[in-house]
Amino acid sequence: MHFVFCLVTVALALGAAAPAAAQQGVTDTEIVLGCSNSFSGPLAYTGEQATRFGVDLYFKALNDAGGVNGRKVRTVYYDDGYKPQEAVANTRKLVEQDKIFAVIAPQGTPPVMATLEYLEENRVPLLFPFQGSPVIRGKKYVFSGMTLYDRQSRMMIDYLVGPRKLKSFGVLYQDDDYGKAFLAAFEKDLARHALKLTATESVKRGVTDVSAQMAKLRAAAPQAVFLVLTPGPGAQALKERQKIGWNDVVMVSSGPLTDEKYLALAGDASEGVEGLSLWPDPVTSDLPGMKTYREAMQKHFGKNEPNRYSLSGYFAAMLFTEGARRAGKNLTRETLVSALEGINGFQSGILPPVSIGADHETQRQGFWVRVEQGRFKQLTDWLKSD
Amino acid sequence: MTVRRALLPGALLVLLAVWPWVAPRYFVFLASVVLVNAIVALGLNLLSGYTNQLSFGHAGFFAIGAYTAAVLTLRAPGVPVLVTLAVAGALTALVGLAFGVPCLRLGGLYLTMATLAFGFVIAEILLNLDTLTNGADGLRVPPARLGALAFATDTSRYYLTAAVATVLVAAAVNLVGTRTGRAFLAIRESEIAAQASGVPVAAYKTLAFGLSAFYTGVAGGLFAFVVGFLSPDAFDVFLSVDFVVMIIVGGLGSVPGSILGATIVTVLHDGLAAFQNYRPLIFGAILIACMLFMPGGVTAAWSRVARR
Repeated sequence: MHFVFCLVTVALALGAAAPAAAQQGVTDTEIVLGCSNSFSGPLAYTGEQATRFGVDLYFKALNDAGGVNGRKVRTVYYDDGYKPQEAVANTRKLVEQDKIFAVIAPQGTPPVMATLEYLEENRVPLLFPFQGSPVIRGKKYVFSGMTLYDRQSRMMIDYLVGPRKLKSFGVLYQDDDYGKAFLAAFEKDLARHALKLTATESVKRGVTDVSAQMAKLRAAAPQAVFLVLTPGPGAQALKERQKIGWNDVVMVSSGPLTDEKYLALAGDASEGVEGLSLWPDPVTSDLPGMKTYREAMQKHFGKNEPNRYSLSGYFAAMLFTEGARRAGKNLTRETLVSALEGINGFQSGILPPVSIGADHETQRQGFWVRVEQGRFKQLTDWLKSD
Repeated sequence: MTVRRALLPGALLVLLAVWPWVAPRYFVFLASVVLVNAIVALGLNLLSGYTNQLSFGHAGFFAIGAYTAAVLTLRAPGVPVLVTLAVAGALTALVGLAFGVPCLRLGGLYLTMATLAFGFVIAEILLNLDTLTNGADGLRVPPARLGALAFATDTSRYYLTAAVATVLVAAAVNLVGTRTGRAFLAIRESEIAAQASGVPVAAYKTLAFGLSAFYTGVAGGLFAFVVGFLSPDAFDVFLSVDFVVMIIVGGLGSVPGSILGATIVTVLHDGLAAFQNYRPLIFGAILIACMLFMPGGVTAAWSRVARR
């Protein structure tokens, strides 16, 4: 036993002295990126689309055109099935075995949170995760992807209280980081307008029956109800509202919820639902970047429908490429971080000009949509959250 | 003969000690996971291999151990890790004893169903006990401490795991030769015969549950430190199935089999990291193949080959 503790002490000393390997994952001809994502489990569709049909879609087109500064980009993915412990093992495998340069576009608050400390410790950039919890703010090697939840809340409240003149609000939220981050932000933003939440109801993750919560919300009779849920229970809430005939209420979906999958699940119960959209309509938008995206999809994955998840991965890859281009031939983790911080007014042709800066936030906007005949119709221009 | 017998364990101990110096960093982490799983497999084998009670709920015991260790370390950071692990094991053992008593009346398929349900219930409790477990958001586990020593590197965590595993393996090996071990084996062969020979079957079956839960709880505690993050999603029924696959592949009722099975399954699991979808399929196929062609697992097959 004594021997073992001696070894432990020696090992600790060695571990402290060992320097982190610099610039792994970059050669003159190649950059290796990767992530642990959901390819099975509840968010398998989202994960698959964001990575293999999103990130890879952009890199396919980029590599065909000669890559970035003469380097082609290769990606490695492992499946965590939305389980944090698998995400930890996968991320370590990516960093220590596959020697990736940076993590790009992982998904889900718990898996991302589980790897955060490890990545910071080992100075591996975590780029544009598909989650919006404000917890990832202020980390040196982390760049947020999705518009953070507190910004989303600010836009939603300011728009509904301002131009729409609504006064009473209820919330149906998922009982985890995602839901609670929104809940706290709603309360704070309403307080600025001297208002309070009328009713709040929570849904445990994985539960789809929300009838009791909807009945309680109805009893409180708010003018609008925010849905901070995932597509399954979100659609169920809309169906429940239709079933109980609660018509004098505006249902408002959070940014991550405002997607086609949720509409498809809700069917005709989704008519009239409003929400904050973080992305232009992937099928109908005629922005130049959106056309390029659809053409690339048609060319490389002809059978795959354009959608918001693949678009988010595609955009993440585009942003990485812009950072790598600016970092130039001497691409290291440090030069990448400063290059990304230096991005100012970058025209993606998809979102408004992107400026990143020291706060590492890549998106700060959204626009208002309402569902008409099964599609999101844009009601406002881009809303600001600053 | 005794020299030859001591050779293999000795060689294994040496390998265990030098591993972090010869293996790349990731494999040090992976070896820690293998050791954690080996402890669970041992615990499960005490129950399933020795007293013939198959459990599909060990992910539940594993979770109790993991969360106990995590919560204790968070609330009382000064507690030495060995105490933390002992508490994790003891608490899990208590749950195991409490669960083992009603299970006495159940046999075969019904027992399996009850353990399966137990696993689900524990996951649900963890999800809903927000104040303690932080619910679905998960819990970040701070490094284990032993006085001034913090187990903050892969190598240090590996040695902690290896030391605990060595002690528990030695205990299991010795247990098999004791009165309790013989009673367990007698129960496996025939409950009626055991009873007729004066073995208090009910007491020993309950004891097996408690002991098995203790091992699994300690392993859970180590798991919390090795992985550093816990969430109820981690402890699903597939994890319980993985544990069962370990002891069936390795060999029911065999200590080396438990270790071997845990190694095979963990390494295979790691190799299949990109294809989680196919994992249940592949593990299921392995399970069936083992039962059909290799009853007694790898260890039994090996001794058959060695005898020839």
